[in-house]
Amino acid sequence: MFEPFTDVIPSFFGWLNQGPLTLTIFLHTVIILPMIWIYYQEKKRLENEG
Amino acid sequence: MANKSVWSDNRFWQRTATWVTGFAAVLLIWLTFDTSAQISMGTDEDLKQGVTKRVPGPTVINYKIEYLMDAKRGHEIPVIGGKNAEGRSAFQEKEKFFGRDDWTEEEAGALLHLGKLGSQAKNCMNCHTLLGNGAYYAPDLTKAWLDPAWGPEGSLQAMTGKNTKEEAMAEFLQHPSQYPTHERMMPDLGITADEAKGLVAFLKHMSSIDTNGFPRNFGKIQGAVHGK
Repeated sequence: MFEPFTDVIPSFFGWLNQGPLTLTIFLHTVIILPMIWIYYQEKKRLENEG
Repeated sequence: MANKSVWSDNRFWQRTATWVTGFAAVLLIWLTFDTSAQISMGTDEDLKQGVTKRVPGPTVINYKIEYLMDAKRGHEIPVIGGKNAEGRSAFQEKEKFFGRDDWTEEEAGALLHLGKLGSQAKNCMNCHTLLGNGAYYAPDLTKAWLDPAWGPEGSLQAMTGKNTKEEAMAEFLQHPSQYPTHERMMPDLGITADEAKGLVAFLKHMSSIDTNGFPRNFGKIQGAVHGK
């Protein structure tokens, strides 16, 4: 599932590029999770306005 | 509006777009600096101290360069100056380049510069590929220096009648149309002896660059991935 880190120089981007899962988890963390958070904030706002 | 959906709410999409665009911008700026650090050329001092750089300093032309399978990384890596216990570059074993293994940083740098300008002036990339840039009308030159055909028992070296790899390559570059190499023969580009020397230095240096195993399946080397 997770592949060993093999890049020449350890770096964040090297880690990101090691396998398909690292990138997927990363993108879900930085895009989908904040979207869920924004979603509930906006939902609450709309309910309060209503 | 009591039952308005969040999905049709403008502010939700605005905030999402702002977040994604802003984060991507930060990431790309960071990536730019990370990349510049990784592809900056090493120095003679790095080679002497045994520091592995993705792009070694110009004096790497004084060292023996091999291309060996790295079990951990799963592809070949350039091994400079013989290998250590871990199978990585030991930076010990020298190899004469045009009769010398004491090219200074300035001399080697000037030679590489000449070779780089020569490769641009003669438009090598019009047919060949260098580090992923160029064409596949002619063989990929990224690891050309490591091609055993130019080695002591190789057919290309034998063809030119020279005794060393660099002399054989330089001879070929000066008179390519005299030597049958490929179905599509290389034309005579009027490369001078000095330019040829620079170009061979340029190729030798390029072969020492760690390209994460590119080109894949450089299979002429024994023991390589899908090697013959």
